[in-house]
Amino acid sequence: MKQITLTPKKFSSIALEFDELSPDEIFDWSKEDFEKYEVPIGNSRFPLGNYFDIEVEGSAESPDEVKMIIDGDAGRIKYIGNGMSAGEIVVNGDADLHAGAEMTGGSITINGNAESYAGREMKGGELTIHGNVKEYCGTSYIGEWRGMSGGKITIHGNAGKQLADAMSGGEIFVKGNCDILAGIHMTKGFIQIDGDVTRWPGGQMKNGNILINGKLGRLLEGFVPDGVIADPEIDGIQFTGKYIKYIGDIGVDGKGTLWLNAEKNSDLV
Amino acid sequence: MEHILKNGIVYDPTNGINGEKKDVMFKDGKIVDNVSDDAKVLDVTDKVVMAAGVDVHCHIAGPKLLLGRLYRPEDERKGVKAKTGVTRAETGFSIPSCPATGYRFSRMGYGTVVEPAVPPLEAKHTHEEIMAIPNIDVPTLPLFGNNWFVIQFAKENNIEDLAAFVSAWLKITKGYGVKLVNPMGSEAWGWGMNVHGIDDPAPFWDTTSREVIRALAQANEMLKLPHSIHVHPNDLGHPGNFPTTVNTMDCMKDIQKNSEYRNQTMHLTHAQFHSYEGTSWRDVESGVKPVVDYINKHDHVTCDVGQVTLDETTTMTADGPMEYDLYALTGLKWANKDIELETASGLVPFIYSGRNPVHSLQWAIGLEIFLTVEDPWKVVLTTDSPNAGPFIRYPRIISWLMSNQRRMEMMDNKEVHSWSHRKSSLATLDREYDFQDVATVTRAAPAKIYGFEDRGHLGAGALADIAVYDLEPNNFDPSRDAAAVEKAFSNALYTIKDGEVLVKDGEIVKVVPSRHVWTNVQGFEEEEKRVLEQIMPMFNKYYTVRFENYVVHDQYTVPEFEYKVNASK
Repeated sequence: MKQITLTPKKFSSIALEFDELSPDEIFDWSKEDFEKYEVPIGNSRFPLGNYFDIEVEGSAESPDEVKMIIDGDAGRIKYIGNGMSAGEIVVNGDADLHAGAEMTGGSITINGNAESYAGREMKGGELTIHGNVKEYCGTSYIGEWRGMSGGKITIHGNAGKQLADAMSGGEIFVKGNCDILAGIHMTKGFIQIDGDVTRWPGGQMKNGNILINGKLGRLLEGFVPDGVIADPEIDGIQFTGKYIKYIGDIGVDGKGTLWLNAEKNSDLV
Repeated sequence: MEHILKNGIVYDPTNGINGEKKDVMFKDGKIVDNVSDDAKVLDVTDKVVMAAGVDVHCHIAGPKLLLGRLYRPEDERKGVKAKTGVTRAETGFSIPSCPATGYRFSRMGYGTVVEPAVPPLEAKHTHEEIMAIPNIDVPTLPLFGNNWFVIQFAKENNIEDLAAFVSAWLKITKGYGVKLVNPMGSEAWGWGMNVHGIDDPAPFWDTTSREVIRALAQANEMLKLPHSIHVHPNDLGHPGNFPTTVNTMDCMKDIQKNSEYRNQTMHLTHAQFHSYEGTSWRDVESGVKPVVDYINKHDHVTCDVGQVTLDETTTMTADGPMEYDLYALTGLKWANKDIELETASGLVPFIYSGRNPVHSLQWAIGLEIFLTVEDPWKVVLTTDSPNAGPFIRYPRIISWLMSNQRRMEMMDNKEVHSWSHRKSSLATLDREYDFQDVATVTRAAPAKIYGFEDRGHLGAGALADIAVYDLEPNNFDPSRDAAAVEKAFSNALYTIKDGEVLVKDGEIVKVVPSRHVWTNVQGFEEEEKRVLEQIMPMFNKYYTVRFENYVVHDQYTVPEFEYKVNASK
């Protein structure tokens, strides 16, 4: 195992970009390699050592033997773990845009909040955010109709707007509340939201499952009720309690399923 | 400044030079027969030398491109290349950024590229975009096939006034020639309809495609325009559409040519999309035979292919109803635009895949056209870029044309679906293009078809637009190494434009502004004035812009390249 610890020592108001520092690239780097490396900042590059105290312990033969810790605030570090296929990254603070974007394996844990586009176009692996996440978590790139297709995202706080836009696989769990249009355009996959949802989950969804355990502010007109189901099994997960089942979005001939906790949403029964 | 390109193997079909080892000399931007001893020597011993490429049909500038870039930001992620000391950054694959468009054509050794579909209302914008595209001359073809004034004149069979209108509109839009897209079909789209075949009248006008095509062809010849009418027929992409294509060509075979340079009176564009047999996508088959037989037997038609390259691309056309059909077929995002009195347009992303039977058949149909049109002067290499694939794939198409081995390999190892050989004759065609054929379909024929006497060849007096490729035809068999062919044609050893070296060893070394190429018709001034006065009430009533703002002013076409034409009446 190799443990790489980057302790922030200088703050840059212009974001650092970390997509070149994924375990796939750095598993065989020594401390000197890191100190030599120049990190992209805006339209320039500067030595990584200007911004971090760098510690490297142990050795690794492959990316999956790497654990990289950013031990502090990474609120101005973009593309953490972008495209990584193996290994582990831990951020002991906030993370900036595109954390875990396009990752295919390994794990990222963010012990603070994450900015927008966390887990964008994720294909595999696991992204855990202990704080809140902003807009477009687990979505497609702007304009793209092929979004997250695999892997697992867990958000312990709240999620922002348009969670999982164009999702075609994988799982997302939100322990807190969620803003508008979760699962918009989704074609497959599973989203579970334990808190309250403002409105319009599943807009133009074609397929897949969205389960909401909290209170829904407003349902889209394209969802038709399909009875109240007790203790449903969804995508191989057994749930207990009563859920109102909806099929939609009929506006696009969708066959997706929206499950609302019947107790919390008794006004809809 | 004098230059001499030494000891290259020269392919210049226009002047009957087929692979001769000789020097090419140029001075002050023009090819010359002799230079002094002071001439700078560029040693290209044994390398392929051709005139710079001429593209007859590639959507590179205008509102469709802009809409495409706005609508497909995801496409801009591909093809990213950092700026250099000479070039700006590049982005995009099927709809590249404007600078990338110029650089990529330049790297492939092209010197002239026609933007073939400009709604006159958006001509100003098109010329603005051309200003941002470097290194190539760009003629534009304004759209006339669904223009209300044109339809009115065609309906009345008033050819002289139509000619005056076309002449005026070429000046107003700084256009080069006459383009028709789905004549009357895009007009019918304004009513949510389409037309099928050339005798299906559009609503309200009760006018047919046949009437519009014939009228514009006659006006085109009356004006003695350098290019013939450039026709995207009705029923694009519909199984069973080949009779429409044949009828379109046949409906104007009696129209007299009025040009000394070109041979044809009609250019059929992206013939691949118009050569389908069958009744649906289930029973579709190649309809190349009747279309190509017609082209082989008649001299009034030339065509370009619109070869499918099996890439993810973006379709964009003034054929509005066709784009709706495509949206209905794919379910992908669709943009639609109405251009007031002129045309309609649409845009849908498209993923051509070798695993898909229909796409594989389309791939085969394109190659079938290339290989069965007997006279290479009648066929031109295009992809209708970006519709059937992006233009940066031209070198790959050249490699397919030069190598039967590669084509068979693709069919044998399932890079393309079996429909490619089960439903077309491709597997039975073992013809291979040689370098002379390639030079014909990418430079000589396109220049002749467009009436460019000063390009597409290396005779004295022509523009010094030259491409040199890193292949040695005397020690190399293109049919055995398709990959090397593709690589060489993708990265010219030299691209020379107007006597200046723009590309060296596949890299851009100099950037120059592109010229706006247009046709200035002389001798119709009185008629133009009269027709303008006549149509102005309708213009003012229906257009959302004033005529004063509609005209492309001179500052939009700097630098320009004007072809003066004396019209005959």
